[in-house]
Amino acid sequence: MGTIAQPVDELRRPNIASADNQLPAVKDYEQVDREIISTLGFTKKWLIGLSVAVFAMLIGASAWIYQIYWGLGQAGYEPPVMWGVYIITFVFWVGIGHAGTLISAILYLFRAGFRTSIYRAAEAMTVFAVMTAGLFPIIHIGRPWKFFWLIPYPNWRLLWPNFKSPLVWDVFAISTYLTISTTFLYIGLIPDFAVLRDRETNPMRKRIYGILSLGWRNSDREWRHFAKAYLFLAAFSTPLVLSVHSVVSFDFAMALVPGWHASIFPPYFVAGAIFSGFAMVWTIVIPMRKWFRLEHYITLNHLDATAKVVLFTSLVVGCAYMIEFFIAWYSGVRPEQEFFWNRVFGQWWWAAWIMLLCNMALPMSLWSQKLRRNPTWLWFLSIFINIGMWYERFVIVVPSLSHEFSPWQWGSYAPSWVDMSFLVGSFGWFFMWFLLFVKQMPVMAIMELKEIVVPRRKHAAVEGAHH
Amino acid sequence: MSTEAGSGVKRRDFLKILGATGATTAVVGCSSEKVGKLIPYVTSPDNTVAGVSQFYATTCKECATGCGVLAEVRDGRPIKLEGNPDHPVNRGAICATGMAALQGLYNPDRYRQPMLREGAELTPVTWDRALEVLGQRLGEVKSRGGAANAVFMNAHETGSFPGLLDQWLSANGMPAHLSVDTMAPAATIATNRAAYGAAWPAIDFNAASLILSFSADFLDAWGHRVPQQLGWADARAKLEGAPRLVYIGARRSLTGLNADQWIPARPGSEMAICRAILGQATAAEAATAADVDEGTITALIAAVGAAGSGVLALCGMTTPDAVECGTMVADINKQNGSVGTTIKPAEAHAGYEGLSSYLELVEATERMNAGSVPVAFVRNVNPAYSMPASVGFAEAFAKVGFKVSFSIMPDETSLLCDLILPDHHWLESWGDAVTVAGQRSFQQPVLEPVFDTRSVADVLIGSARADGAIAASFPQSDYRSWMVSGFAGGSDAFATALTQASVSGSVAASRATRTAPSRPSPAPALGAGEGNMFVFVYPSATLGDGSGANKPWLQELPDPVTKIAWQSWVEIHPITAKQMGVKEGDHLTVTTAAGEISAPAYPYMGVRPDTVAVALGQGHTAYGRFAIGVGVNAYTVLPSAWDSAGNLALVSTRGNVTRGVEHSALVTTEGSARQHGRGIAQAMMAAAISAPEVEEHHHDIPGHVSQEFLPGLKSPVAADAQGEFANPQSKDKGMYNPEHPTRAESRRWAMTVDLARCTGCSACVTACYSENNIPTVGARYQGRALSPVTWDERPGANIIKGREMAWIRLERYYEGNTNTENEFSPDFETRFVPMMCQHCGNAPCEPVCPVYATYHSPDGLNVQVYNRCVGTRYCSNNCPYKVRYYNWFGYGEPERKQYAWPEPMHWLLNPDVTVRGKGVMEKCTFCVQRIREGENRARSEERELRADEFTTACAQACPSRAIVFGDAADENWSVAKLAYDRRAYHVFEELNTYTAVVYLKKVNHPAPAASATA
Repeated sequence: MGTIAQPVDELRRPNIASADNQLPAVKDYEQVDREIISTLGFTKKWLIGLSVAVFAMLIGASAWIYQIYWGLGQAGYEPPVMWGVYIITFVFWVGIGHAGTLISAILYLFRAGFRTSIYRAAEAMTVFAVMTAGLFPIIHIGRPWKFFWLIPYPNWRLLWPNFKSPLVWDVFAISTYLTISTTFLYIGLIPDFAVLRDRETNPMRKRIYGILSLGWRNSDREWRHFAKAYLFLAAFSTPLVLSVHSVVSFDFAMALVPGWHASIFPPYFVAGAIFSGFAMVWTIVIPMRKWFRLEHYITLNHLDATAKVVLFTSLVVGCAYMIEFFIAWYSGVRPEQEFFWNRVFGQWWWAAWIMLLCNMALPMSLWSQKLRRNPTWLWFLSIFINIGMWYERFVIVVPSLSHEFSPWQWGSYAPSWVDMSFLVGSFGWFFMWFLLFVKQMPVMAIMELKEIVVPRRKHAAVEGAHH
Repeated sequence: MSTEAGSGVKRRDFLKILGATGATTAVVGCSSEKVGKLIPYVTSPDNTVAGVSQFYATTCKECATGCGVLAEVRDGRPIKLEGNPDHPVNRGAICATGMAALQGLYNPDRYRQPMLREGAELTPVTWDRALEVLGQRLGEVKSRGGAANAVFMNAHETGSFPGLLDQWLSANGMPAHLSVDTMAPAATIATNRAAYGAAWPAIDFNAASLILSFSADFLDAWGHRVPQQLGWADARAKLEGAPRLVYIGARRSLTGLNADQWIPARPGSEMAICRAILGQATAAEAATAADVDEGTITALIAAVGAAGSGVLALCGMTTPDAVECGTMVADINKQNGSVGTTIKPAEAHAGYEGLSSYLELVEATERMNAGSVPVAFVRNVNPAYSMPASVGFAEAFAKVGFKVSFSIMPDETSLLCDLILPDHHWLESWGDAVTVAGQRSFQQPVLEPVFDTRSVADVLIGSARADGAIAASFPQSDYRSWMVSGFAGGSDAFATALTQASVSGSVAASRATRTAPSRPSPAPALGAGEGNMFVFVYPSATLGDGSGANKPWLQELPDPVTKIAWQSWVEIHPITAKQMGVKEGDHLTVTTAAGEISAPAYPYMGVRPDTVAVALGQGHTAYGRFAIGVGVNAYTVLPSAWDSAGNLALVSTRGNVTRGVEHSALVTTEGSARQHGRGIAQAMMAAAISAPEVEEHHHDIPGHVSQEFLPGLKSPVAADAQGEFANPQSKDKGMYNPEHPTRAESRRWAMTVDLARCTGCSACVTACYSENNIPTVGARYQGRALSPVTWDERPGANIIKGREMAWIRLERYYEGNTNTENEFSPDFETRFVPMMCQHCGNAPCEPVCPVYATYHSPDGLNVQVYNRCVGTRYCSNNCPYKVRYYNWFGYGEPERKQYAWPEPMHWLLNPDVTVRGKGVMEKCTFCVQRIREGENRARSEERELRADEFTTACAQACPSRAIVFGDAADENWSVAKLAYDRRAYHVFEELNTYTAVVYLKKVNHPAPAASATA
């Protein structure tokens, strides 16, 4: 076990062996409180960032008004490609939404130490990503004002949704996931709200934090209940992590479209989601640790550990790609074979090779420990993976639809400026929420950090007085 | 609990108010439909029941054929034209052009009232004023003695009107009118007259065993296409004894694609082949001249010899030597003794009698140019567009003192006129046509005139009666009484005749006779001119000579050969394109001595490598919003050259073809023209028809259901109908229960499509547009936004994006000739497949819809509920046939720029079919409105449905009779037998969709020697 006296050589000791030596530069509880809460102060840069995000969100919002007025023809759809950027972006954001719950719930159950510093940010990311994703099916449908017809609600016409349709399963999966991950995020925040409440001087904010902390008093009983609730929710969320993206993959796998109709889709999608989710965590956390001066909380060890998850999921995803090709060949089904050929060497070669490059080739750099511990490289790699995973969904959605059974109806697809406005808008919407979050709530779980920080002994008397 | 009295609003009241206001908001606020009013008739017109159609028999005037049509009239407005089953010419069939006449009738750009030129502008005037001006100017002309130099150019028609017109002209001292039809195969008519003594002898395809077509496009635009197609399809439906078609010409037209063999003779060399067949030259000489294999010619000569009197040789050429060549082609028939067998001069069609030649029009133009024509009249003829530019019609016409137009549309010619007296559309007019020998077919108005127009005949009669000098020769006050007066039996017999499709009799007043001028054509012999390529100009199968360009249905209908709509294109062989470095859509500039056009290239393996082909019909500068600015006018590159009978030669020149700088995406509905082995269009050899049926050996994999072909309808009803979870043992069959009170479950609506009959003419497509209110999406203003401020204003922009809405489409697949970029071979086969919703018993679209907007009806229909659809488009993704169409824009919303039916075009909407809103999916319904109408009629008459009692719009129109619709569960219906035909197959059967559309394999007739190659 390391001690505080022995600073850990971060470059030499990649693994987080135990909680004790995770955060060598964090000395005591007060430092945690001070440093984490100091991130909440408004800054000019933050305001600029928020304005950019809100502006981008407004681009998407105006595109939506425009599209509802004119019709979906303003998007780039080109039959037979009836699904396009909206569904691609929907799956992209649902995928992003996976890492948070994986980190906060599954890694919690697995007692993975590196989770502590990043899980709050990742969890918030999850909630906002799912909020973003949830908009896209509504944007995508032709009559968005009738979207509630997909929800089973009692009505005098005795009409129900079609429970055979994967789209209805999506409604359940996404809404359940959003509910649970929001609840999970909130439950974890309660003790931290109490800290904020205690430190807040503005009476209005203090009151709000007070309400949000549900009167947390730091009692043993509360902690006991809290720990049980947290464990329960972690256990409850864990299957959701797997089920949500499996259900999303059913949108494709349940159809008979060549390139979609594959039983490998659920595990393949879940792996891809974790892959992209971790990449998005990097995209957010690496600048954040720098700007918020949190490098000693999110250490290179943490990044290294996440890099291994990314490397592993990249291998899983790559394996799934290969299996798809193998099955296409092995099936002996001509439309399937021709489709896969067209995907990689035909009309859509560029998209497929962007995907293969970003998702299969570049992550192989993570075999190098040096690169795993290079935040700059990881950040750029995360951008590549984000692009690659967006293109993975593009490659699944567009080439498959453009090259189906009937050769007479083979087609092409090019997104329009309206599609792109929604893509930009979705990032604006997501980052708007995230930026608002980072200034209202601690981006790290104060109470969990305190669990792994060994408090400095001021002097024996004080220590004795504690117990 | 807040139970204190006097505290203002009580809780219960509050909840009541909340509930009431909430409900009101929900009910009123959520309705996207405007509230309209239904006003019943106070006094109902006779024989009119609101919501029930009346059918008026009339005669189609879109071309010279004179098909009988039934106008379906709902509440005073015709909403659809159908072929009249009792009419001897078309036997119930109708072509796309005929059906699209409604869009001429309701065209928003029609002249709405008389117009008079005041200064540079045509300004609306009243009829009184317009007729006053007419009388005044006619008086001036006559008083100056210029009447003898007047010119009247009338759209060619048969029947009584030409007689009346000539009577009026002669009463005014004017010469007989010019009867102009630029679509008429004038060279063929001239040779027919000389060789057979009739302008258009009956063609008996059924008696033929070998058909030689020298560019005689009897399935495209040559001659009388509906009766020809009926005859052709009936002959081909004999399968084994069916005639073999050899097509000789530089370009494979739709007729050429239906041919069993194509001999790609060099333009102008056809006579050499005729000589060889007639024994006047050797096969080698012919082969050299025509640039084809000698063996091909030898085999052809042998085949002609073997066919004897079963030979049917037709010539439809438009070269300068067309008349001479046509005469030799007639000699082939005569030599084989097939005159009277396959060519029947005794049963001639009278549609082309009285036609003026192109040369007459040229001479009239010359007289105008000389300034000697004081007054000219034009009616629905557009020589300013449809004459080669070098004739200079527009300039010559400008020199005419007074120009009167009776045209219904503001076209290039009528916009040059000084006085517009818009005629009624033929659907608003009285009239008649003479068709097959001795048959007269009547035309009656089927609605009140849409606009403030007047029948030209009434105007002429009125003007004559106003002129004291000639009033006595026009005792009748209007055209109808004029017709009745000449009708044997008088008024009552006339009224009876109107209810009949066609009556025996001749036209009372015959037209004036003319002598056709004759002078040598200025054009050099074909091939001698400058240029690297032959320029092959042909009339469009959909737009004709351009007269169809104002009708969005015809613009939207993909050309049957190239599948291009809303555009002009240049057909070039892939070899030549490769040599020139030209890719599909790169512009080609075609320059001849006459002019130059530039249009995107369409690499087409059905055109000779030394030839480019361009269709007529586009490039209008006037003629309404749907025609203006679409494509280029191929008349621009045509020199004014004519054949020895004075008819315009369309294939008369060579030109320089160079690559232009522009590139335009082709407005095509074609994806891949190859089947990639997917068995969509299947064919078999004629010889295999009678061969004993071989027991098919399935790949016997234990536990696997064979995916080999099983004939007929595998699943009698929907998969759901098998019971709960498709378990046949289940007792819970819901509405699919055979005991269910609707008894719908006992039916299985189905369709068969006989590919041996189908020619790919695409009439079914337009029929479907007409019946099912399908929006056209290709007009310039219907595109999408390319940025917040710019719109895609290319014609057909939506179709470039694949967003056409045709519920039924004609897929055209090629077989053979895969190395087309490097090797020229005429040997490829074309298969046409009408593809519409297959109404799968086990439909992939149904389970994926999240809101049950598509589900299976108990009688076997795959139903689409527009009101329930939220537009996820998942159904379309999952449809292997790709027959679902999505409303990307508010095509049915008048306030949107994409509105497809600008007033009064929306009058043709079928009130039985919903106009779909934006954001919903639609598709073929098997004309469910017709099914329900038939069922309701049977129920109200307390009887069962009779077999073949009604059919779908596509089947009704089909001039090949390839589509048969009905109840496959009732063996009395034709479809029930056809579905179990030996040639029957389902498309993508391996997907277990259990389709309700059964295709019957095409039957190929290889050359006797080459029959081994399949």
